[in-house]
Amino acid sequence: MTLLGIAWRNIRQRLLTSLLTALSLALGVALVVATLVTAGIVKQAFESGAGLGYNMIVGAKGSPLQLVLNSVYLISKPIENISWDFYQQFLPAAQRPDGVDGTYAASTKTAVPICMGDYFRGFRVIGTNTTYFDRLTVGDGRPFAFAAGRNFRDDEFFGGVLGATVAARLTLRVGETFAPTHGADDGKVHDPFTVIGILARTDTPVDRGVFVNMEGFYLQDGHAKPVEGSGPSTGGQTSASGHVPLPFEQREVTAILLETASLPGMPGMPDLPAELTAMGLRTAINEGRDGQAAEPVREIRQLLDLFVRPLELLLLLVTALVVVVSAISILVSMVGSSLERSRDVAIMRALGARRGHVLAVVLIEAVLLAVGGGLVGWVLGHLLVGAIAPLITTNAGVSASVLSAAPGAELLLVPFLVGLAILAALLPAVAAYRTDVAKWLQGG
Amino acid sequence: MPSPVIELVDVRKSFVMPGGERVDILDIPAFSLAAGEHCALEGRSGSGKSTLLNVVAGIMRPDSGRVLVDGLDLARLDEARRDRVRADRLGLVFQQFNLLPGFTALENVLVAMSFGSGRPDRRRAVGLLEAVGLGQRLDHKPSALSVGQQQRVAVARALANSPRAVLADEPTASIDPAHQQQVIDLLRNTCTEQGVALLVVTHAADVASQFPRRIRLEDFNRAARG
Repeated sequence: MTLLGIAWRNIRQRLLTSLLTALSLALGVALVVATLVTAGIVKQAFESGAGLGYNMIVGAKGSPLQLVLNSVYLISKPIENISWDFYQQFLPAAQRPDGVDGTYAASTKTAVPICMGDYFRGFRVIGTNTTYFDRLTVGDGRPFAFAAGRNFRDDEFFGGVLGATVAARLTLRVGETFAPTHGADDGKVHDPFTVIGILARTDTPVDRGVFVNMEGFYLQDGHAKPVEGSGPSTGGQTSASGHVPLPFEQREVTAILLETASLPGMPGMPDLPAELTAMGLRTAINEGRDGQAAEPVREIRQLLDLFVRPLELLLLLVTALVVVVSAISILVSMVGSSLERSRDVAIMRALGARRGHVLAVVLIEAVLLAVGGGLVGWVLGHLLVGAIAPLITTNAGVSASVLSAAPGAELLLVPFLVGLAILAALLPAVAAYRTDVAKWLQGG
Repeated sequence: MPSPVIELVDVRKSFVMPGGERVDILDIPAFSLAAGEHCALEGRSGSGKSTLLNVVAGIMRPDSGRVLVDGLDLARLDEARRDRVRADRLGLVFQQFNLLPGFTALENVLVAMSFGSGRPDRRRAVGLLEAVGLGQRLDHKPSALSVGQQQRVAVARALANSPRAVLADEPTASIDPAHQQQVIDLLRNTCTEQGVALLVVTHAADVASQFPRRIRLEDFNRAARG
């Protein structure tokens, strides 16, 4: 019989105490695993928003963080709108009705307008144009992929594209229609849009978006900016179905997702990289009156530094406390059974067990309890994450499941638990080590 | 005369009492037990019988003198080596049997084997239990065994590592008279079959009278004479 076998027998001998100890440990570990995994998912949700094919967001003056949260993560409220003229300043001559480059056109590689304020059954509606899915990316340069259908065309005014979560939750399919509501879920119901495409899952906030052609968006009640004076001018080409677009004068956009361009350098000098262009552009825009420019990466880093990291530290502290409580439960269990153990230890010592043997048996027992409780807790923790996965997906826009993991932290948990179990078992182990054999055998 | 398995030479052992007084428990000029010899050791309560067994088993170290077990002087060995000698060369049977309650009969024997130099041998453990009539009770825990059966497990366990001698401390004190004779027969027969020396400490004259060698501790322990 090995020392492991002896330790296992000892655990089975005190089955109820052992089970309660392991259960207490399991609950602690489950809480820790669920916390670590959820924190990792939320962090991933924020980090995934910084690499989607744009490096700057232009919007109305106000909080840059709010601008980023609203435009990238589809949470928080839109600040205000910016004028159509201001948006036009980022477009090259070919895309402008006047055939002249906009003020910031040279610094701009891609400018994707978004209009917000409508909802469809709890999900944000984003009015945009075809460039959103043609020019932006899922992250790491990967283009958007469609699980069904395709991107809407510019002349499909009432066409829409659904994020994967939206399509799955609302069981909408290509060809079906949906009617957004104005301002809130209980607002005025707008005209219906047709689902042209459904995006493949991106694990980004885009999964929670309802994207519609901004031309159709502009034509809804309450979306046209009131104008005074002379009659409206043209708003572009008429749609395939004969709808007349909203005049430019009556248009606004909520934000522009911007990818800055690298500027050609002076003769003999290298080009100015896009990052430096962004710095100059940001300064120029922020010094003006028309709007503000925010860099998502910078804002999210600040958010992480200000809130998420301290929260992570707090979680770590809670985690540490939970694990310490678990360790104490092992200690209490082992100390509680030390009287019973002393007699067994004395018997084993009389049979020839060395002090090292009995020390090892107690430590192995603690490690078995820690590993057993830890494994059960690990499974429970993942089941817990699986149970709250829909909530995470809805609120953070990233897919979460039983299999979601925080590999680094979870792997560290195992040696940490084992180390802690050994530490907790040291006291009873040393007591076993020092058991007075003669006294216990005579007393027995 | 076969060479002694156990030999004590000028062994002294004393304890300091709670009041600070030092009391001599053992003062034995010479004692030996030959290989295969069966001996009953009698003594009145407090005469140092258990202390003697603890010293011979290496659980206690004498203050002075030599305690030779199979030629090895336990008084000169460190604790770990004394433990090894006890595991490999001695078998112990206790008054209360002292079986491990959470372990089956077979596991109690295997546990003893696991502390010896050899690898635990399940077949041999089963054989020992069959030899003491417990072939059908291998997987029973002590609580499911009768007193007599528990003592049989204790005997099988004492022989687990093929010891040179078995030390039994009042092996019949806790059992009813009807079973006492069975235990003594079992101990003597099994030790005879295995060629193992047997030293039984007892205060029961009828038990002692069945042994070819019967000695009183007071006769060779000068500390017990006062």
